[in-house]
Amino acid sequence: MAETVQSVATAAPGRAAASGDGIDLDEVRRILSHFTFRDHQEAQELILSSLQEINEHFGYVSLAASELVAHHFETTANRVYGLLTFYADFRTEPRGKHFMLLCHGMACYVMGSQALVQELKDTWGIQDGGTTADGEVTVQVVNGCLGVCDRAPLIKLDADYHGDLTVEGLNDVLRRAIAAGGSWHGSHQPPSADANHAAVAAHGSHHGPAD
Amino acid sequence: MDQPTSAPTVLPTSQPGQASSLPATGARLTSRAAFEEFQARCRAHWDDLWAGNRVVVSVGVDSSSLAKGGYAVLAECRRLLAGERAVVREVSGNGAMWMDPHVEIKRPGEPPIVYGPIAPDEVEALLAGRLPERAVGVRGESAFNGIPPLAAHPFFKYQERIVLANLGIIEPNSVVDAVGAGAYEAYKRVLFDLSPEEAIAEVTAANVRGRGGAGFPAGVKWESGRKARATPKFVVCNSHEGEPNVYKDRRIHEGDPHRILEGILIACIVCGAERGYNYIGGEYPLAIQRFRQAVADAERLGLIGRNVLGSGKDVFFRVRTGGGAYICGEGSALMYSVMGLRGQPRTKPPRSVEEGIWKRPTIANNTETLANIPDIIVKGGAWYAAIGTEKSKGTKLMTVQGAMNTVGLVEVPMGIELGTLVNEIWGGMRPGHQFKGIQTGGVSAGPLTEEHFGLPVDFDSLTSVGGMLGSGGFAVFDQHVCAVDYARYLTAFNRYESCAKCVPCQRGNPALVEILDRIRFGRASLDDLPLMQRTSKHIIELSLCGLGQVAPMPLLGMMKQFEAEFRAHIVDGVCPAGVCPIGAPAEVALPVAAD
Repeated sequence: MAETVQSVATAAPGRAAASGDGIDLDEVRRILSHFTFRDHQEAQELILSSLQEINEHFGYVSLAASELVAHHFETTANRVYGLLTFYADFRTEPRGKHFMLLCHGMACYVMGSQALVQELKDTWGIQDGGTTADGEVTVQVVNGCLGVCDRAPLIKLDADYHGDLTVEGLNDVLRRAIAAGGSWHGSHQPPSADANHAAVAAHGSHHGPAD
Repeated sequence: MDQPTSAPTVLPTSQPGQASSLPATGARLTSRAAFEEFQARCRAHWDDLWAGNRVVVSVGVDSSSLAKGGYAVLAECRRLLAGERAVVREVSGNGAMWMDPHVEIKRPGEPPIVYGPIAPDEVEALLAGRLPERAVGVRGESAFNGIPPLAAHPFFKYQERIVLANLGIIEPNSVVDAVGAGAYEAYKRVLFDLSPEEAIAEVTAANVRGRGGAGFPAGVKWESGRKARATPKFVVCNSHEGEPNVYKDRRIHEGDPHRILEGILIACIVCGAERGYNYIGGEYPLAIQRFRQAVADAERLGLIGRNVLGSGKDVFFRVRTGGGAYICGEGSALMYSVMGLRGQPRTKPPRSVEEGIWKRPTIANNTETLANIPDIIVKGGAWYAAIGTEKSKGTKLMTVQGAMNTVGLVEVPMGIELGTLVNEIWGGMRPGHQFKGIQTGGVSAGPLTEEHFGLPVDFDSLTSVGGMLGSGGFAVFDQHVCAVDYARYLTAFNRYESCAKCVPCQRGNPALVEILDRIRFGRASLDDLPLMQRTSKHIIELSLCGLGQVAPMPLLGMMKQFEAEFRAHIVDGVCPAGVCPIGAPAEVALPVAAD
């Protein structure tokens, strides 16, 4: 496949090849080169997986990247973009420095996640999918469930979970993350031992569910 | 490899499955005898692990416990026990989220004892034996040193674990553990001993009904899959749980992935399908990673591929991941998603066993259904049918959320009383929380209240009162939750997740949310109640897919169970729970506390 991708690079006209909309297209080509297929059916089955990897790697999938994907799998950019806008996990715009998943599953809802959503809107000026004006934090409200229901309401900020949150707790976690700097390295990274330890400590005891 | 089974992944290979001195697996197993020899070695290894003179420390790491320091606890155990005569294992959680992360310690001459929850900085004290009060129970038959058996704890007492039998016990990343605990025994029998008809007869005798929510008998589905004449055929396992209160399938993947894989492979052989698929929700990285590991191990051993174990039968496998669209849990939408399209359902017929993935006959089963299959094949359909109620056989995984004392995933026989689940297994409400209701059936049914506690939980009993077993997801809510606001939340979920293919669902759900907002803001009239009924009726009767047809059910259920609360908003202009913008009665504090 490598040759094919290479030919895209030279053949892909104008804007896509030149800018990549902030995405390193060589890296996209490298990712795509792992997706080999024997027939057109298999190629189609792999489109979503490849988009997930690109989305995971860069935090979003730009138009230029989706054109490369379309070329690799011998389909149209239209089709690829249709997938990006249908599936909730994909973003087509860059993320902020920090990426927060706010769980809005049923457990979090009955334990008060609505207040957190409201606070993000009132104090931080962001809603689902939005990024703060200073480019620090992007929030995605998870309509499903992060599966840590005994610590609801809960967020996952970068690689770390913060549970049993109040509105003040949320603000506190965000301010500390911004002050600490650093940035998002992919939402699937397991938390570091230190970070995780800190997260648990910051929210007090989690010995016993009734705390 | 002729058929690549899975795309490459950038997911972390994680703290890898801890090489607990694997029996040499060597090359592909090419005959039944070679597999049986491998089984024997795995069993010997398993027995040796527990009989030996070593300390065995098992840490539960799954997507629930890693949020609470699971990996850090594991790393700390490894650090402190490095150089000692000890084995540190990475198992998954055992379903009891209230004791995550748990640590199980087996010392020579003692039974394994389960401790939890354990924070990373407590590991040292725990290993030194200074935290005896954190012991939850003994994994075994009898008490030890005053510590009762785990099975005596109310959370475990009522459970009968088939699907979850190995959860928290085997290492999910170790095929040796899985085979040592009995994995692929049923697969072997289906390959060599049982004819497809005999295998289907067992599944039919077991009367196992689809665990995804619809409750369709698996035996019937397999029968029509077997009879379908077009080829190739496919089997697809639906591991996409997008509902906001269900996490059962994710935990099976994280704890015992080979069980699911074996179920799918059996379905492939029995139905004559050339390829199995597992469609996993993309939001569960750990589940995906552990399942992919299982597939890779099974391929390496020759359990997948051409001429499996010399049986002359071919079976291939592909893992596909979803993109966070609830609708992809619907059968036809899932198949479109597998094919790299937008996951939007289509009209039926043709049913998917006639025309599914790539227009070929496709047998689609839920993960939990398939995970039951290996035991049914080994122990027989009659054994399974003896568990549960007359019309709902076997056990069911159930999950709960809310302010309960012992939140977690349980596997109980069908027909258990709702009140037992709430008050004993899940430990009742936490202090400061009063039980108000329990939402059933994910987002596809209405809530139940205390008066329904005597009802048996199975596929049919809850439906008569407006609830539903569905996929077994429950959410308990307390006095801080307003029925109107909750109904809006549930309806807004359906609005957000509507795939927008058919008009009744796409337009109807926003309309319902709009009316509910009128009520919440105190601008509604009593005419809005019948208006919501009528709108719901349209959505239910005219929507294209099963999910659209149940979208208004939570709202209708809320209106039925808590009608007075809806009227209080409209007539009295107050929100009794003090949640809605309309304002609370004087005696209720504002705003709603996120405890």
